[in-house]
Amino acid sequence: MTKAEFLAAVEGCLRGLSQSDIQKSLEYYSEMIDDRMEEGMSEADAVAAMGPIPEIVNQILMDLPLPKLVRARTRPSRTVRMWEILLLVLGSPVWFPLLLVPVVVAFCVYITFFAVILSLYVTVAAVGLGGLLGGIGGALIFAFTGQGVQAVLILGAGLFCFGVALLLLFPCGWITRGIVGLSKLFVRGIKRLFVRKEKTR
Amino acid sequence: MDMQMKRGLLDVCVLAAIRDHDSYGYQMIKDMKPYVSVSESTLYPILRRLEAAKLLTVRSVEHEGRLRKYYHITEAGKQRINAFAEEWKELLSIYRFVVREEKYDD
Repeated sequence: MTKAEFLAAVEGCLRGLSQSDIQKSLEYYSEMIDDRMEEGMSEADAVAAMGPIPEIVNQILMDLPLPKLVRARTRPSRTVRMWEILLLVLGSPVWFPLLLVPVVVAFCVYITFFAVILSLYVTVAAVGLGGLLGGIGGALIFAFTGQGVQAVLILGAGLFCFGVALLLLFPCGWITRGIVGLSKLFVRGIKRLFVRKEKTR
Repeated sequence: MDMQMKRGLLDVCVLAAIRDHDSYGYQMIKDMKPYVSVSESTLYPILRRLEAAKLLTVRSVEHEGRLRKYYHITEAGKQRINAFAEEWKELLSIYRFVVREEKYDD
């Protein structure tokens, strides 16, 4: 395969991406082939060294942000005919809800990840600040009513809650990192669906 | 190896390849080869990701009548390498502890 044929094949597989994205990819591979040829490699060997085209395309697609990937993969490769538009409109009561279900489910799962993180920090803040403010407030009330022992007791309980909340921040950080990692895996899973779909076309 | 961990490792390897001087794609692959094998198709998304994160910048330089892209590490990129080195210090001490335990079991 020549360099021109290789670049044309990559360009064909990337159709749907923005012109600037396609151009950047082609410039990169063109430079890589030229650099290898400059070291004395033949054109065919330099092209072969780039690896299989489907792998190249998959790597590029998998690294795109999800909305960009979906837009690129769902953009029709030719002009849509009038009867196709009509068919799409007439069929919308069937296909639209069916399409909406996975989109909404994916969105809900994604929101759930961050809701769990938010709830963790809200809980820790409630324990810490609630304990501290409650302890100080309670202690002041008891102090003003002349109940010294109770004042010290409630202040100690408040400070204990605040200390527990500070300690809980560490596991919260670990859990957050885990959930963020999980959400990234989830997004990669969705991306893989679109990339695989392209491969089997 | 865990996918996320491998991605993070490769990101830092690429940054390390341009830490001392600016470099271009093919040269970076050759420099990394004794330590880690990175293909052209793997390197491309990494470079784009690092550029988007402002960990490196790109400039085109004319070479032999064509343009060649040179990559330059930013301050944020250097900080990323330092952060990685710190994290691995901790991991290495855990590794030593684990290996020592295994030897004890034998």
